[in-house]
Amino acid sequence: MAYSLPLFVTSESSVCAPVSASAADEDRELVAQLQAGSEAAFRTLVARYQNRIYRTIFSLLRNEEEAEDVAQEVFVEVHQTIGRFRGEASLSTWLYRLATSRALKNRRKAQAKKRFAYFTSLLGGNNDVLHEPPDHAHPLALLEGQQQLQLLLAHIARLPDQQQVAFTLRHEQELTYEQIAAVLGTTVAAVESLLFRARQTLRKHVQAPLRHV
Amino acid sequence: MSDIINRPGSDEEWEDLMRQLRNQPVAQPRPFFYARVQARLVASAGAPRQWLPAWLRQPAYAVLLGALVLALSGDGPALTSAAARYHASPPSGLKSLPPR
Repeated sequence: MAYSLPLFVTSESSVCAPVSASAADEDRELVAQLQAGSEAAFRTLVARYQNRIYRTIFSLLRNEEEAEDVAQEVFVEVHQTIGRFRGEASLSTWLYRLATSRALKNRRKAQAKKRFAYFTSLLGGNNDVLHEPPDHAHPLALLEGQQQLQLLLAHIARLPDQQQVAFTLRHEQELTYEQIAAVLGTTVAAVESLLFRARQTLRKHVQAPLRHV
Repeated sequence: MSDIINRPGSDEEWEDLMRQLRNQPVAQPRPFFYARVQARLVASAGAPRQWLPAWLRQPAYAVLLGALVLALSGDGPALTSAAARYHASPPSGLKSLPPR
């Protein structure tokens, strides 16, 4: 399923609910300063959000270089489009939207590039192995500790975009359902459904090997 | 098959896995992240604005677009009407030839 996030911010009163009043006030003040062109405010924004944004992107891409690149793009976009931010959603919601949509866009691009490289390699243009080598590890070998986590991460990466974003924001970034709904531009009920389906799929794949022990 | 399928640990295992997921080493950007963002902003501000969209700057798309413009440029109808005119009235030199 195609997943795209609009740049505009939607009016959702619940968005700010989980954010503490002082943090929301600070963010509003920060936005006002940014819109006035303050470089100091931009530095504060980056310092305040860089870790959260980077972690969100990293959890979707699982690649440090790509996460760094996309995180930079997010802050550049914020700098260039802050004038259009009307403050109808919280600043953090807007940032999470930019981060998740850019991360997914980056991943789609990388997948398309990989497919193209694979086909050109089939046509004899390059003898390098460009496709991912098959994983010959037997599921039983992936049971223990860290390896089971790796198996889980691999299956999270294969979830449909919206399920993956919802699952990542919930279980890695520990956002509330309301915050996730605001980021995805959907309802809390829809987020519950996305998370339910994601967990069902993951449990089926990750816990299946256990049943054969 | 072992008793794992029957034991009530399935939910616990899942919870344990979720705990592992949350307790992964915290990913952080490399130091001086702000400096790199600043450098990128300066680079994007200094970059010349492209007047053609990126996809059109690909040679394959440009050639395709050129071919499409040629195909739709109206040469086809013009050539057809010229041919029709030729058949309708042969050149004057042919009129003077004696009939066989």
